[in-house]
Amino acid sequence: MARRAQIIPPRSDLKRKAVNLTTGFDLRLTPELIKQLEDVVHKSRDGFTKDIGERLAAMRQLLAETGPEPEAQNVLVTSLYESSLAIKGAGGTIGYDLLTLIGKSLNDFVTGLKSLDDRQRPVVGLHIDALYVVLANRITGRGGVVEKAIVDAFVEARRKFRPDGSDGGSGDQQRDA
Amino acid sequence: MPEKIDFSKVSFLIVDSNPLSSQLVRDILSVLGATAVRSANSVERACAILRRDPVDIIITEYHLEPENGLVLIDWVRSSSESSDRMIPIIMLTANSEQDYVVNARDKGVTEFLAKPFNVEGLYRRLVAVIAKPRSFVNADEYFGPDRRRRQVPFGGTDRRGSDG
Repeated sequence: MARRAQIIPPRSDLKRKAVNLTTGFDLRLTPELIKQLEDVVHKSRDGFTKDIGERLAAMRQLLAETGPEPEAQNVLVTSLYESSLAIKGAGGTIGYDLLTLIGKSLNDFVTGLKSLDDRQRPVVGLHIDALYVVLANRITGRGGVVEKAIVDAFVEARRKFRPDGSDGGSGDQQRDA
Repeated sequence: MPEKIDFSKVSFLIVDSNPLSSQLVRDILSVLGATAVRSANSVERACAILRRDPVDIIITEYHLEPENGLVLIDWVRSSSESSDRMIPIIMLTANSEQDYVVNARDKGVTEFLAKPFNVEGLYRRLVAVIAKPRSFVNADEYFGPDRRRRQVPFGGTDRRGSDG
């Protein structure tokens, strides 16, 4: 028989240690602190863009050179998954929201795949090209009408060329757990 | 006088296999005044650090290799080797779709923040785990923060209070 759930009251040791009335930062962010923290993110931008550029080069090379052998295909898809996830996570953090959108699209496309067939390979290639264009032209934000049309086209490509007809992932959750 | 948080009194463990991402969080914590910040790039290394020297807050990715962030949460919340089963855990991850959120919540994550993230989102979660700690629930198949966020008034009979 299931036992009754025990509720353990909130622990206050961390609060006692760190929360006070004199030193540190207000619980509510001040504009000055936001600026300071955003400067930190801004400074990291060069490192992230270099990393994304290197990932795109590696993905493009791997896509071109990988043969049909299952093991090689598995390495390819794993690499595409990892890099697209990293681009999805980093893009918007440093102001490149469009990189996140296209990175997510690529990540959704390869999620759950073990290999790429002849129809899926060009779709991946187009994602990589699009990511390159965004990075090379330093298109920050979500872009305009053309960029939206491209992202919509990738959604359609996912529907059409994934074996299960699904769009891979579902909507992102920005809410609390 | 408003309450403040002195982050220099708080120790952190960042678990992320992406060095840039890990460094960014470390830099943000540094601006806040945190000095005790350690990093690990895998669950195994994170557990080794926690066994040696517990921390106050864990900030972890979901996507880690070979074991993912859920394994770390499970270890912290359930393992007999865990020195503190109630450590606040913030999951900061690009695996942000609903299934991942639900899985992390059901393993006992304290807060979830999707990448890409902004500094305000991260700060809010740090404030939440430090200044507004939540009750924990110890049940047959769950040990972790109380997953009920909203307190909704209930007008019916308290059957739990009257059962034997």
